This record gives sequence, C-alpha cells and structure tokens, in this order.
Amino acid sequence: MAVVLDKSHRWRVIAAHVFLLAFIAAIIFPFLMIISISLRPGNYAVGELIPSEISLEHWKLALGISYQGLDGQLVEPQFPVLLWLWNSIKIAAMSAAIGLLLSTTCAYAFARMQFKGKRMMMNSLLLMQMFPSVLALVAIYAIFDRIGSHVPALGIDTHGGLVLAYTGGIALHIWTIKGYFDTIPVEIEEAAKVDGATPFQAFRYVLLPMALPILMVVFLLAFIQGIIEYPIASVLLHEKDNLTLAVGAKQFLYPQHYRWGDFAAAAILSGLPITAVFLLAQKWMISGLTAGGVKG
Amino acid sequence: MSDVVLRGIRKAYGEIQTIHGVDLDIRDGEFIVFVGPSGCGKSTLLRMIAGLEDITQGEMLIGGERVNDTPPAKRGVAMVFQSYALYPHMSVYDNMAFGLKLAGVGQNETRTAVERAAKILQIEHLLDRKPKALSGGQRQRVAIGRAIVRKPNVFLFDEPLSNLDAALRVQMRIEITKLHRELATTMIYVTHDQVEAMTLADRIVVLQAGKVEQVGAPLELYHHPANLFVAGFIGSPKMNFVDARISAVEQRGITVQLSDGSSVTAAVESAGASVGAKVTLGIRPEHFCFDTEDATNRISGCVMAVEQLGEATYLYLEVQGAADMLVVRADAAHPARRGETVQLRLPAERCYLFNETGLAYQRRAAVELSK
Repeated sequence: MAVVLDKSHRWRVIAAHVFLLAFIAAIIFPFLMIISISLRPGNYAVGELIPSEISLEHWKLALGISYQGLDGQLVEPQFPVLLWLWNSIKIAAMSAAIGLLLSTTCAYAFARMQFKGKRMMMNSLLLMQMFPSVLALVAIYAIFDRIGSHVPALGIDTHGGLVLAYTGGIALHIWTIKGYFDTIPVEIEEAAKVDGATPFQAFRYVLLPMALPILMVVFLLAFIQGIIEYPIASVLLHEKDNLTLAVGAKQFLYPQHYRWGDFAAAAILSGLPITAVFLLAQKWMISGLTAGGVKG
Repeated sequence: MSDVVLRGIRKAYGEIQTIHGVDLDIRDGEFIVFVGPSGCGKSTLLRMIAGLEDITQGEMLIGGERVNDTPPAKRGVAMVFQSYALYPHMSVYDNMAFGLKLAGVGQNETRTAVERAAKILQIEHLLDRKPKALSGGQRQRVAIGRAIVRKPNVFLFDEPLSNLDAALRVQMRIEITKLHRELATTMIYVTHDQVEAMTLADRIVVLQAGKVEQVGAPLELYHHPANLFVAGFIGSPKMNFVDARISAVEQRGITVQLSDGSSVTAAVESAGASVGAKVTLGIRPEHFCFDTEDATNRISGCVMAVEQLGEATYLYLEVQGAADMLVVRADAAHPARRGETVQLRLPAERCYLFNETGLAYQRRAAVELSK
C-alpha cells in the first residue's frame, strides 16, 4: 500500500486490533467454557477454565458408552444422545432441502414474474414471519394434531410433522434469494429463452448456477435453524427416541439435578454437523459467479 | 431464412402506450436497421419480434406464420444483446452450444457447428475460457457466435456495438456486414447511432416516440427525408434549419424569405405551397458553397466558433433571424476566424424545405439518388 498515512494511523490500527481481540475473546470464551465443563469430572457449571483433572465420563455418556462411576458402579447411558443427534441432522437436512426448494422457486416467481398482488404478498410474507412462532405454539400443536388424524406421517410426534413445521418458516429465505435474483441481469435469462430454453430450463440451467452462493447460504441458515430450534420441537416431539438433540439435551437439566457436564458434551455434539455443513458449503460460497456475463 | 411482417403493432404498459401502430414488411435476407433517439421504442419493437415482450395489439408474422403467441424459443430467431448477456458460469464453447444442447442436437454436430462459428468469428482459441476472461470485443463475438450457431431464420441485434470502443466498433461493423453477406439471413439491427444505420442497412426504419417516421434505403433518407425529424436525425453534424416564409412559387422551385430579408430558392416540387406560408428551410453542413459570384441564394453570418478536425473545418455561424447557429463544413484550409463575417451560397438543388407541420416538399434533385 503506497497510500500516504496520517501519523495517528498506527495508533488507530493498534486500537482496532485490541478491540477485535477483546471481541473475539468474548465470543470464544463461552465455547471454551463448554468444552471445559464437558471434560471436567462431575456436573458443575462453575469452575476453572482449564480443568485440573480430565474426565471423559460425559463424553462416554454422550457417545453411548457405559463407564465405571466413582462408587464403582457401572453407569449406563441414560439417553440415546447419538440417536438424537441423528434425528437433528435428519430433520435439519430435510427441512433445509425442502425449504430451499420452495423458497428458490417462490423467489423466482417474485423476482421474475408479473402477477397481481405481488408486492402485497411479499410484504405480508415478511409481516407474518415477524410474528413470533412461539406465540403460536398452541395453534401449531392443534394444527399438527389435526393433520396427524388425516396423514399420520405428518402428525404429532413424527419427524415429518416437524419438517413440515420448519419448512413453513421460509419467508425470510424467499426475501434473501429474491434479493439476490434481482441483482442478476435478466438479459442472461432472456438470452437463454431466445436460445430455445423454456422458462424452467432458463431457471434451472442459467439462473440457478449463478445463484449458487446464496442458495448455499440459505441452506446453511435453514440447517442451523433446524439443529438449534427448541420451542416447536419440544411441543411436537414427545417420545424419547424421537427427540432432537436440542430438545433431548434439555433432559440433562432437570430441577433436582443439573447435569451440566453431560449437557455440555451434547451441546458440542450438536455443533458438529453445523460445522461440517458449513465447511462443505463454503466451497460454493464464492463471489463473482456472474462476472463477465454482461457489460458491467 | 424468413421474412418478417408487422401489421399495426401496438404496445402498451397499462395505460401508457409506447408503440403506436407499426406496419413493416421486412424481406427475406434483408438487413434492416431500426434507428431513433433513446426511448423511441426501437428496442421494444425488437424485443416484441424476439418474443420477449408480448404484443398488445396487431399481428406479427415470421416466415408467413403468425407468431403473436409463440414463445421466443419457437420463433427461429437469435438475438445479440447490448450487454452481451453471456452465461457467466459456462465456457465460451458451452455458451455457444447451449441452444443446440437444448434443441437435442448430437454432440458431434454441435461441435462442428460451434467450431465453424468460432472460425468465422476468429475466437477458436477462446473456446475453453469463461466469459470473464474475455475482453469486451471478444465477448461480443461470443454473443454473435451464440446466435450464429443456431442457424436462425432471423437475427436480432440490440445495439450490439454500443459497449465497444470506437476503433473496435468500426471493425465489428465491417464484420457484421461481412457476416450478413455470408449468411444471407434476415437481420434486424437496433441502434441509436445513425452512422451504424447508414453503413449497415439495406433499409433504415426511423422511429420516433413509438411511430415509424420513414422507411427507406440509407441514401434515400439522406436525400429525401420525409419530414423534419428524419432530416435532422440522418446526417452528421445534423441538418441546419432556418425558419422562413414562402415569397414565391415558381416552376424552378419555391423561393422563401428568411427573417433577415435574404431570399433563397429551393428546388422542390411546389405542390401544396402557397405564398406567405410558414416553412422551414433545411441545408446540410456539407452542402454550403463559398463561391459567391452568383448573387442569388446567399446568406451571410458571423463566425462564432471554428472547429478544426484536420480533414475539415466546421464553422458555427450566427445568422440574423435564425434561432440556432448554422454549422458549415468547410475545407480544412479555410481561413475563417472567430468574429469574421462570411458569405455563403445555398445551392438550390441542395436545399430542403418543410411545411409548417414538418412534412418535406418533394425535392427535384433525383439525380443524387444512387441506390
């Protein structure tokens, strides 16, 4: 950089670094804390950050391995944590995939097609999404109870029902994708149409590949949402083997006995699929996909 | 190859009508240029032919078939967009092969067609690149190549050269002419640049505010503009206009009196002319004469500015009574300076005359019309 800098610039750079380091520390600290708790023997929320004694008892429980307790008894894992994790991944992946499919096609209609009431529909989508779904829990329960009496696979205490509930929350995704579609020059699809493409082919072969980064972002957001969501899952799922990890992990914390260590191990487990999906999706989240298509 | 016929084509966006009934017969193999100022509807008209805009009213036929409700893909047209509109995620080869792939053409055949088009446009060495690795001129070639590969019946060009620099534009212009000669396909070309229109077209369609002002061969428009608008639009620098009043209608033409008192005779048909009527006298910058032995048809003006271009010198004259300055093209060596007064002769056979509504009086100088 050959730009001439002010003398105070150096101090501003240092100050910025100090601020950023403090900020990062504030974010990382809780995470380190959880790792620490999961590795400490016993179930205590408080304690030193670097455990003086490492114990894998919580992890063994979380991974479904029995271990020898302090009193010599064999402690059997009480909860199917790995099954919950699998449930979470399954539900999050399915709801993200279905949600992505629906929101992409929906965003295409909003971005590219002309129809009556378009503005109103877009705005009402956003308004409805702003209404906290927690407040509608009772209604959601009632709805899925009724659905279940007609289509058992989508009723209460089914994963299908939960996926359906999650895919209902795609309004923000529609807005996000639509916003991205709006930045893609429409001429490119028009060129495809003149080239002989049907509207669907223009969408599939021309628009979608260019929109890949935003599709990945939306998939990731929806996936994270599916993994961490608690209220709806806690209302819809009852059976122990059906729970998602977010709901199941809560069972480590009953009022008589807060099992912080086990809870921490489960929490870290639930972060793993998110990290994995993020690393996979990152490959596609590249900018400049539309570069060169039209004169800038 | 196909002819294109437009019958009473209208386009409205809600209440606002932008194309007001266009009738046009485009012959098979013809190179037609739509020209007009920004917002005149030329691009809209082209997009209607392509099928990218629906037709509000009227009828369109391509190759004798009514295509009003035919989607773009089935019209047998190919279009080159102003912004190139390449598929950024595909290589040049895939860009050009896309149409054939959709049409279900076999791989070998596709490869032959793409390579042939690439050879014509000299982009064979670029086939593996992505559009973003190409220069503007190369991208435009790819866009044209994509159109050629499909062997369309009608080529549509929407201001394809306006994003290129001046030198490249001239080069591409010549190549498009060559392309038209080789392919002998109907081509419809939209531009706002009248030089492109003059050099490329078999026939030019001049549009203004959604109406066709005149259709004709380039020189026909130059020599016989139908009205003030066409006269002012075709030719560069634009034609000079001076308000005048008819003072005499004679066999050799119409004599008009300018507001500074000088009188000028224009060699035009006198049909419909009456003494005293308000008219507009038109003369092109390149048609003024500096030989002032002949006493008639003279005006004088004060030089306000001199532009020396090397090949010619443009004088900007203030003439008493004329609203705008007159532009005069003089020899490069013309000695006029700012502030001087110069005498000019307006050759009668070079003058244009327009009535109060802007319609041209038919000029007699048919000899110039060399098609």
